[in-house]
Parts: sequence; C-alpha cells; structure tokens
Amino acid sequence: MTALLELDGLTRHFGGLTAVDEVTTHVGQGELVGLIGPNGAGKTTLFNLISGFTRPSSGAVRFKGEEITGLPPHQVAHRGMSRTFQNLRVFPNMTVFDNISVGALGALGVGAFQSVIGGRKRSHEISERSWEMLERVGLNEQANDLAANLSYGKRKYLEIARALAMEPDLLILDEPAAGMNHSETAELSQFITELNSEGLTIMLVEHDMSLVMGICERVVVLASGRKIADDTPVEVRQNQAVLDAYLGGDDE
Amino acid sequence: MSKQLLTKVGMVVLLFVVVPAVLMAFDRGYFYQIATIAAVFVLLAASLHLVTGVAGLLHLGHAAFYGIGAYVAALLGSELEIGFTLGLPAAGLAAAFVAFLVALPTMRLISIYFAVATLAIGQMLYLIFLNWVSVTKGPNGVLLFSGIDFFGFDIESEIGIYYVVTAIMALSVVVLYRLTNSYYGNALRSLREDDQCAAAMGINVTVLKMQAFVISAFFAGLAGALWAYTTGYISPNDFNFSQSILVLAMVVVGGLGSLPGAVIGALLLILLPEVLRDVGDTRNIFVGLVMFGAILFLPKGLFGEVSALRFARRILGSGWSGSADNREVGWE
Repeated sequence: MTALLELDGLTRHFGGLTAVDEVTTHVGQGELVGLIGPNGAGKTTLFNLISGFTRPSSGAVRFKGEEITGLPPHQVAHRGMSRTFQNLRVFPNMTVFDNISVGALGALGVGAFQSVIGGRKRSHEISERSWEMLERVGLNEQANDLAANLSYGKRKYLEIARALAMEPDLLILDEPAAGMNHSETAELSQFITELNSEGLTIMLVEHDMSLVMGICERVVVLASGRKIADDTPVEVRQNQAVLDAYLGGDDE
Repeated sequence: MSKQLLTKVGMVVLLFVVVPAVLMAFDRGYFYQIATIAAVFVLLAASLHLVTGVAGLLHLGHAAFYGIGAYVAALLGSELEIGFTLGLPAAGLAAAFVAFLVALPTMRLISIYFAVATLAIGQMLYLIFLNWVSVTKGPNGVLLFSGIDFFGFDIESEIGIYYVVTAIMALSVVVLYRLTNSYYGNALRSLREDDQCAAAMGINVTVLKMQAFVISAFFAGLAGALWAYTTGYISPNDFNFSQSILVLAMVVVGGLGSLPGAVIGALLLILLPEVLRDVGDTRNIFVGLVMFGAILFLPKGLFGEVSALRFARRILGSGWSGSADNREVGWE
C-alpha cells in the first residue's frame, strides 16, 4: 500500500502547551483511518496542521509524496485534500446548490474575466458536478433553499457534498457524527463506508468511539498530543494505554 | 419572444427610449442633470455592491476612489487637454491602481478592522484632494470646460450627454451583473459567508478580496470621470466621507448582496430629495424617515439578495437548467 499522506514528527506548541507532540503516522491510498482521543487530545489541531490552517512548530507533512508543510489551506486543497469542520460550517445565506458549487469552483477555478466574457464551458462543468453531488446526498429537492433553512442532519450532508465536489483524493471529516442520534449516525457510517469502497481515502476524527470502531480499518489514538496507539480497532480496544487515556488511568 | 428576452429588451427600451423621450418632452436642464446624477450614483452603488454586498467587505471609503476618477479626468482634461475617450479609461485605471496599492496591506484585515482601514484610506485621499493645492487646486476645485468628445465627435446636446453617460453606466452594470451572477460571484459570496471555509475549498481568499476591491474601485473611478465631464466642476467635498456613507446607505436600503437592490436604492436616494424639493429644507427629514422605515420593516432591503438571485436565474435566464428536473439553479 502506498502512503497518500505521511506525517513525520509533527509538532505544534501553543505558548507553553504542546498540542500535538511528535506525531508520526501515515494514511495509505484507499484507507479509511479513524483518529480518536479524549477531549483536548489534539485531534482538531492535527487536522489543522494537515490541511494548512495551522503551521507546525516542527515536523513535516507529505501528501502524494510531495512536502506540503506550511502551505496555505487553498494550496493544500488544490493538491487534492478536502475537509469538513468540527462545528458544521456551511454558507448559511447561499442556496444548497450554490454551497456545493463552491467546492466544485474551488477545485476547477473561476476567473473574473471569464465570468464576464465566455467561460460557459467551465460554468457547465461546475453546474454538472455540483448537481451530481447534490443528488448523491439526496438534497435535490432543496437545491434552491438557503442552507440556513436546512435541518441539522441535512446540513451535515451538505457540508460533505461540498467537500466531495472538489473530487478530492483525501477527504478529512472532523467529527461528522457530532450532534446526530443513533439512527442518523448509522446512516452516516453507511455513507462513509460507501464512499470509501468507491476508492476514496478518508480520515475521520470522532469523539464518539462507536462510529470509528465500526467502520475504520485502522485507528490512530491521540492523548495529550501524543500518539499512543495506531492499530486495528480490535487491538486498540484492548490497548492498555488507550483504556487509561479514556478512563483516566494514573500511570501517565 | 421568451420572457428572458422580453425583460432585457424592456430594460433597454426604458433606458434608451422611454426615459429620453420623457426628458425631451419636458426639455428642462434640471431634469437632464438629475438623470445624469442618478446614472453616476447607480454606478457607484453597483460598484460598492460588488465589494460590500457580495464579498462582504464593509468599505467606508468608496467615495475616495470615485474622487480619484473625477480628479484624473478633470486634471487630464484641464491641464493636458486629454479628452473623454482616453480620460475615461484613465480615470478608472487610476482608481483601480490606487486601490491595488492600498489593498496590499489591508486585505488581511477582517470585519470591523477592514472597515476602519477603508475609513482611514478614504479620509487620507480626501485630505490629499483638499490640501495638495499645486495639483488638485485644493478647496477651489477644478474647472473642466472640455465636455465630452467621443472618438472625435463633440457631444454637446443634453440628450447626447444623457446617452453617453447612460450607455457607460449600463455597460458597467452589465459587467458587474456578470461578475456577481456567476460562479465567480459564488466564490465572492463564500468569502462573505465564511472565508476560512472558502479557503478549505481551494479559494485564494486574499487574492479574491483584492480583485473585488480593485474592480469596484475601477467602476467608482469611471463614475467619478462621468461626474467630472458632466458637471464641469469638481471640488473635494464631492468626495468626502458623507458621500461614502450615502452610497453605502443606497446599497443597504436596496438590499445587501442584490444588484437590482443597489440600483433601486441609488434611484430612491437621488430622486426622493428631488421629488420632495417643494417641501423645503425639512425634506431631508423625510428622506431619513424613508431610510429608517425601509431598514426597520425590510431589513433585507427593498429587493433582497434571495429575490435578486432568483430574478436573475428565472427572469433574466442566467441560471443553469441542465438538471433532470429543469430547475434553474447555479449559473450558466
């Protein structure tokens, strides 16, 4: 398996706090990897380091064999990495369709000049790709509704559809099941598994263990910024360090 | 005839047949003057709409770029005898260039900090107009006698001037329409909504904000040149802070994010004081009340963004309807 994403000794300090401490791991092509850890373990910071929102204090990120450490988010996105956010960020005053189109236009690019004269071919491409993603998540009925008027669950799917419209090689999901009930979570895991089986590499952070343990092939566990486990769900479940981290063991 | 074509033809007929016919029927200089001022402010509001309504950057110094356009046109005309044909684009480009220079350090600022920075830029440029006497003639202003020469033709009749000003305004508004009712417009709107999120989608936030700011200044510069050529006299007070606020009020009353709203807002705030002229000095209170009432009862504006985008997609045919159910979504 070739590594799509490689993290090498990734570290980030915030003042005196080390939020992410020497994390080294990789995500292989086609893998579905989960990242878990108790509150404040550094999961979101790690995602921000990977996607360019936070610059690492030291260490390196390589994507498709190319070093992308310290690149701004839009350049990371252009290389084929797309992400969602922890607390659901859609564009509230734009329609559902327009929301998704931003993913497509971000990846394909649009120019000011093109939009005035010509540029029809590009517009069609964006429209068609956006519509495809809209149907994929079953939001076609709401195409012209403002995103703010969607239910919470549907906004979650909208955010994923927008990320998919970039046609990424790696999709990073930050707590996709947060705020969802049991049946919604089950439906979402089904969807994530389906995307993965089509060949999309996915990395997902979850606070709640059950989703991750159910669908991921491999689980990386962070505690206090350090990687304490990197194994199959079955192994991780029995890992003493992981149990201690979650249950508050005192042998730190 | 399809409804899209009918609407477009209707707008052209209104601007280039009906309004000129009315103006000629009354044939009073005063009406021509109001029509010209209305066209200039429609262009100013439409250009501010791009940066403040669509890209969401609260710009409090728009009048300064309007002023740069006016001064460049007036000074080229009065000092160097460079006429309208070259002076007009030069005015737009000069305003855009200054906007580019000040945008470099400003674009990373967010929300209220950006607003204060543009306020400072506006005041700075206003003070330059006022105090750089050797170039701008300071508080005396600049007189420009040359009028409008259009590729060698001198346009002297009032109706001729109306046609030139309106044509340039209309063409500019069409360009601004295309910029905002397109996927480029969606990219700009995504900055307004959540710029971090837009960056995660691959959008270069700083560059896009700069483009919106510079393009907006270009059209403000054109508006300034039109003002200089039609009034024949400009002075610093035409471009002070209260003008920036007036244009901002037009955009907000009309509907933030809505191009037809910006146009309606500009027409309302230019025409209403004129209609109320007989009321006397208290008319400004009425204008204020109308503005206040509009914001109170229609916070999304007289022609809000949602309706404006739907209007553009359905009635003007800018939407994409290639999906299975033929609904107008996205942009053509």
